[in-house]
Amino acid sequence: MWETVAQAVINGLLIGGIYALVSIGVTLIFGVVKIVNFAQGEFVMIGMYISFFLSSQFGIDPLASLLVTMPVLFVMGVLVQHFLIRRVLGPNDMPQIFLTFALSLLLLNLALMLFTANYRTVHTSYSDEAFHIAGLYIPVAKLIAFVVAMLLSGALWVFLHTTDLGKAMRAAAQNRDVATLMGINPNRVFCVALGIALALAGAAGSLLMPFYSAYPFVGQVFVLMAFVAVVLGTLGNVMGALIASLMMGIAESLGIQYVGADSGLIVVFAMLLLTLAFKPTGLGGGRVR
Amino acid sequence: MKRDRKDSVDTGAGIKGTAPKRQGRRDFLIKTGGILAAGAFGAVPLRGWAADPVNIGALYPTTGSMAQIGVGCVAAAKLAVEMVNDAGGIKSLGGAKLNLIISDVQSDTTVTRTETDRLITGNKLSAIHGCFASALTLIASEVAERAKVPIITGSSSDQLNKGRTYTFTPFARASQFAKAQLQMAKLVSDTPKVAVIFENTAFGTSTSNGLKELAPGEGVEIVMFEPYSAGFTDASPLINKVKSSGANALFSVSYLNDLILIVRTVKQVGLNIAINGGSGGFVIPDFYKNVGKLAEGLQGVAHWNHDMNPDCEKVNAEYRKRTGEFLFEYAGGLVAQTFMIAHALERAGSADPQKVREALSALDVSSGYAAMAPGGKVKFGPDGKNVYGRPVGVQWQNGDLASVFPKEDARAPLLKT
Repeated sequence: MWETVAQAVINGLLIGGIYALVSIGVTLIFGVVKIVNFAQGEFVMIGMYISFFLSSQFGIDPLASLLVTMPVLFVMGVLVQHFLIRRVLGPNDMPQIFLTFALSLLLLNLALMLFTANYRTVHTSYSDEAFHIAGLYIPVAKLIAFVVAMLLSGALWVFLHTTDLGKAMRAAAQNRDVATLMGINPNRVFCVALGIALALAGAAGSLLMPFYSAYPFVGQVFVLMAFVAVVLGTLGNVMGALIASLMMGIAESLGIQYVGADSGLIVVFAMLLLTLAFKPTGLGGGRVR
Repeated sequence: MKRDRKDSVDTGAGIKGTAPKRQGRRDFLIKTGGILAAGAFGAVPLRGWAADPVNIGALYPTTGSMAQIGVGCVAAAKLAVEMVNDAGGIKSLGGAKLNLIISDVQSDTTVTRTETDRLITGNKLSAIHGCFASALTLIASEVAERAKVPIITGSSSDQLNKGRTYTFTPFARASQFAKAQLQMAKLVSDTPKVAVIFENTAFGTSTSNGLKELAPGEGVEIVMFEPYSAGFTDASPLINKVKSSGANALFSVSYLNDLILIVRTVKQVGLNIAINGGSGGFVIPDFYKNVGKLAEGLQGVAHWNHDMNPDCEKVNAEYRKRTGEFLFEYAGGLVAQTFMIAHALERAGSADPQKVREALSALDVSSGYAAMAPGGKVKFGPDGKNVYGRPVGVQWQNGDLASVFPKEDARAPLLKT
């Protein structure tokens, strides 16, 4: 009995780590730039395809390809901010929503055109391996993904709290006008925020590749969970998104185990609705931490 | 390339591409010049120097979502017609060659209706084969019935055997697949305990219900019956459940991506369980290409397989030479169908579709290419069903799909994972 529960919790926690990488990106962009990036899932997809092609063409391990996907996606983030988002930042929200939504559709259909709808998988030596401890099992690939995800989240937290740029970012998130008055260049801060957020999405893609298939729609699967986690953990709150993601992973896993395999998401959304009913700002409180 | 009807046969050349109506100056000179020259020598039996070719219609989706399989079907259809013609054509019709007229039904039901109609009214057809997907075949069959042209198909929908007189189905029906799957579970264990997991839309629900209904009659115990939502991120909780159910066989009615996750998770858990993925996308070469080594040992069911007998293997070798892939169930089945049509034409001694239908309904073969079916015998009952029709159980072994069930069709022993 306890084994089943423990196993469900482990499964949930591990997949929650991936949700966290995606949702931290979304919440960071929202917190700093104040836009919702609907295309975040597509950047995960791009990360996966980069890892897939590096692996299939050059035999590079998907984990090693983190060193490629993260910088590439960082640059993409800076470019997206500088050439696209910067143009639509203004009092009106609508153009921003349309922009990121259009970007999502564009990337998705480009991927369909270039890569077709086929599923691509990478097989590594550790893809099918698992640690077996006391009747429980921990898949190696997912454990690695989880640990790296937590390290990256931790690094981001340290960056936001100890470096000047990180502090500037939090300042811009708290009050853009005051931050500008204090001499912070908002576009520069926004570029870095977008870069970091997309680099995290790319990292999620590389970490997923050893155990999940790449296909053009793959981002949609993860972005849905990410949006729920972002709202649950309070919009713009990095730590909140992280904790909410892990909670959601566990809730989904327990839901599948005890409610039914087609009802995992029911538990997640029930959790979201209850949280919003009793604590409308989310679990994380109101500030960017 | 939207509405291409290609004359693919007479010459063996011109298989790809050019519209039939346009003749080059050279063609024109060769043809007219030949006739003029022959006329000059005063010896032109205008008819009879070659018998009129017999038109066979082929309806397959070569564009759209089903194109991948449709294109393979067309390659097999051309191969089959060449084989018949190289062997001397239809002897009772003076060695008449088969002329394949291909029509693209574009993976779309509406297009299927208009294209079938166009194919029949625009050409003097003796018979049709197609369309691979049951949804399309049902419509093509309706049109063919009205026009009184026989249609022969590998589609498995049981609908195709209801109230039809011109439709022939030489291979196993959908209702037989579930039964075969359950019987395969008994190869794995004497006391089969099956966990059925299925994606929760129409496809998964209807297939799994068929399994559930037949299980008691086959002496198979279903210990878990669980729908899941397709496109999940993590199969672990589901496999966790399978593990605690104590099942020794797992039937997964899934789309490809889910199936990959499920198979991988089963390996990680270290669960020793036989996985049966059913039919369809699971038994085509692309599956192994996408899934790789993980596919090894997976079981499924098919209406045709390329290793069932030496004839199948011969055709498979030729198809592999042309396309680089093994002859998958649907393509292999339609090669057999072409030979069934040829067999009927031979006996009918006429290209008239009514007479071909009569001859098809009297077909009874147990040898040769026309009998390439699981069990090796084809004879149509009044409902157009092959009375000997049955599916073949298959397993992925060393990158190839091996027939493992039933015993008479098995070419390799079932590997217990």
